[in-house]
Amino acid sequence: MLLADFGTSYCKILDTESGQPPRIVATRDLEPEFCADLATGHNAGRRSRQSINELTALAWGGESLINEPDFVLLDCGSRDIKFIRYVDNRIIDMGWNAECGASMGFTIELLGKYYDLDFNTIPVPDSGFSITCGVLGMSNIFDAVVSGSTEIEAVAKFVRGIAMNGYRFAGSPEKLYLSGGLCDNPLFVGCFPCAVVRLGRFVLLEGLEECIRRNG
Amino acid sequence: MQPRRVGIVGVPPLSVIRKLNREQCLIVDLDEPQIRKSIELSSNYLPRVYCAILRTVVLNAMHLKLDTIYIDVGPGKCDCALHVAMVLDNILRIPVIKTRNLDDKPFGTSICRSGMPLLEKFRAITRAVSSDAAEAQLPPCAPVAGFWGVPPRDFSILSLFPDTTHIYGWTRCMENKTPANMELETYYNSDVPTVFFAQSFCAKTALAHHLARLHPRSLFLDCDVTAGNSARAKIEAFLELSGVTARRRIS
Repeated sequence: MLLADFGTSYCKILDTESGQPPRIVATRDLEPEFCADLATGHNAGRRSRQSINELTALAWGGESLINEPDFVLLDCGSRDIKFIRYVDNRIIDMGWNAECGASMGFTIELLGKYYDLDFNTIPVPDSGFSITCGVLGMSNIFDAVVSGSTEIEAVAKFVRGIAMNGYRFAGSPEKLYLSGGLCDNPLFVGCFPCAVVRLGRFVLLEGLEECIRRNG
Repeated sequence: MQPRRVGIVGVPPLSVIRKLNREQCLIVDLDEPQIRKSIELSSNYLPRVYCAILRTVVLNAMHLKLDTIYIDVGPGKCDCALHVAMVLDNILRIPVIKTRNLDDKPFGTSICRSGMPLLEKFRAITRAVSSDAAEAQLPPCAPVAGFWGVPPRDFSILSLFPDTTHIYGWTRCMENKTPANMELETYYNSDVPTVFFAQSFCAKTALAHHLARLHPRSLFLDCDVTAGNSARAKIEAFLELSGVTARRRIS
């Protein structure tokens, strides 16, 4: 069975019968005729035979991977952020911010390429910009650079602001499970003012597998 | 002779509705979209960041040919309606009559508890505001989910719920024709997963948020003019993860 998490920038694809790990394909490079058996994400309705919404996939993925009755799981994508909160093994809160949290991962990747930055080497700043979304936050970078900050310092503060947005959106937990491509960005992960457990970018695929196990 | 066209906002007292029906007036519910024009046109008179229901009221009032408007401004509606009443009075050349509905005779809530599709329930309840008669009693169904709140500006979210969803909150007060009944408005059913709906910038948002915190299985949902994918996905996921929606078959 072909499972897919159709992200805005990257698609995560798993062939459950191949024995191979999931593959990541840039969304713009995905073959036009590609069609999954079960999928989630922005294009799931159009590119799959069956689809489930991303919050459901995130919740089932979290349930499968996190062996705790109480947890908060935040998924930071290219375009949006979403979270689920469990207490006593039951979902009690969730959120999906596709507007004000817009373009977080996409903007960070864009800035890294534009300024040719290695996020592995950038120290976590003491403070961050107060920003509402990736697009609006970029002007803070330009203002800071004009005011004498280095590009690295300015981008680091931007990334911290983005991380704090996600942290507050998820309800400011003491411990946060994090999923999505930004798990691989040590600067971003280091900017959270709480314990962070990185689950990587295949949590929604795990949710699809869990969906099969429950309903197959 | 053409019947008088009377706009109503909120739930005016039954005595007013009776009078209008007796005079065979055509009652137009200004809380609901009545014309196909952009809600942005209301921003000449109201801020853009404002309750979408009251923005709709102003949009309707600007474009419909009405003879009179009755606007309920009492505890059965909201303080914002009082302010909007002043706006309407200033911009229109028709009588804008403020009412304070304190009716306390219960007409029943059988539609809220029936097994009709949720969208149909809301349509029936909002339609009944123009009537002074009791609705036919419908048989109740056992609820599997709850919708608490005012009628949303965007009815499309209602189709996401199963037919066996019961309605609570101010909409239940509407059907009961007691819009200021706080005890009925704050009632919810702890046994069923419930979406506490808040129309953005509505004063009742605080109540929705508070009650959602008290309810053991709740989703607080805030929506403005139209419900986006995010809001729809939250409802779908909440119902699915609460075990309300049907098991899917994966093939």
